[in-house]
Amino acid sequence: MTEVDEVVPGAPLNRMLVSVLSLIGFFVALYLWAHNAGLTGPIICGVGDCATVQSSEYARIGGVPVSAIGVAGYVALFVLSMMGLQPGRRSSRAIAALLLSGSTFGVAFSAYLTYLEAAVIQAWCQYCVASAIIITLIFFATLPEIPRLRSPEGAA
Amino acid sequence: MKKLYITLAVVAVVGIGAVSYSIGSGSGGAVSAPIAVEGLDDMNRLVELAQGMTKGDPNATVTIIEFGDFQCPACQQFATAVKPQVELALIESGKAKFVYYDWPIIEAHPNAFLAARAARCAGDQQKYWEYHDNLFRNQARWATSTDAVGMFTDYAATLGLDEGAFESCLGSDRHADVVTANMELGLQLGVRGTPTIIVEQGGVPRNILNWDFESLRTYVEELLAPNTGA
Repeated sequence: MTEVDEVVPGAPLNRMLVSVLSLIGFFVALYLWAHNAGLTGPIICGVGDCATVQSSEYARIGGVPVSAIGVAGYVALFVLSMMGLQPGRRSSRAIAALLLSGSTFGVAFSAYLTYLEAAVIQAWCQYCVASAIIITLIFFATLPEIPRLRSPEGAA
Repeated sequence: MKKLYITLAVVAVVGIGAVSYSIGSGSGGAVSAPIAVEGLDDMNRLVELAQGMTKGDPNATVTIIEFGDFQCPACQQFATAVKPQVELALIESGKAKFVYYDWPIIEAHPNAFLAARAARCAGDQQKYWEYHDNLFRNQARWATSTDAVGMFTDYAATLGLDEGAFESCLGSDRHADVVTANMELGLQLGVRGTPTIIVEQGGVPRNILNWDFESLRTYVEELLAPNTGA
């Protein structure tokens, strides 16, 4: 435990939450990516029109599947949160800034995709919605990083 | 931190299991949804790419066209109750030819695109129509199956097809471009549901809303009347 950790007990709890949520999000995005790559059968979809969303032109950006972008994003958030949980990095402003900016970008990107589903494609994919909820929760979980950006840098 | 690691391990095990299961029980590389096909926005190119499956005398002046979905119950009704009579009375007699275009409603029928490809894979071995009829007869069995690839392969074996060649075809993206093009052609022609039955003669198509056998027979024979002297 560093001095800063003792001053702010339980501070990394939000990063623990981010690590768990980003791991869940990773598997949701990985499933969609596997489907997009033709590795799974017809998408398992209790409600909504995943097939419509997945086969739409918006399922790829510049040839890259949106689900692959999601996988990369969740991996980045997971790695950052795990790094930020290590005793020497708990007060790192760099990690706080990266977590906050990453989750903000993620939630904004997800909001855009949700808008496309609602207004343009007019079909819902439950896995995309699940991912949107996960990234929103991650965003809120990273808000406690804001005070850390202003705190004195600890051992990084 | 120990509790966190345990939680992460549980999430990882469940996640790996779920994704592995979906891949293992899925259709491998079998393409089950429309793919990107260049040129579909060009009508001339679209007409080249889209390919119906024809039955009957290719020189018959009247063409009965169906835009169908193998997973659609109404198409099953047409295929099992109406089409056999149409074949006997109009196709085998040379009065008309029948052309089937795939129009899988993928939003509602998750196995329909794969079924359309499966039929065409059987067509590679000259068994399209046998397979087509078999799919409609057994629709209730495979429609909601999570192992449609396995069931379709079994049907191929039942019909005496080369199982390896069929499996290889189905497990790829073969015919996905044609099925995708057929879907786009249907959209361009105003198809909004299945079965859509169109009777065409001399380049003049007519959408037949009442596709019962008597209506179809009457309409086709009316079209032929001037030529046959009836």
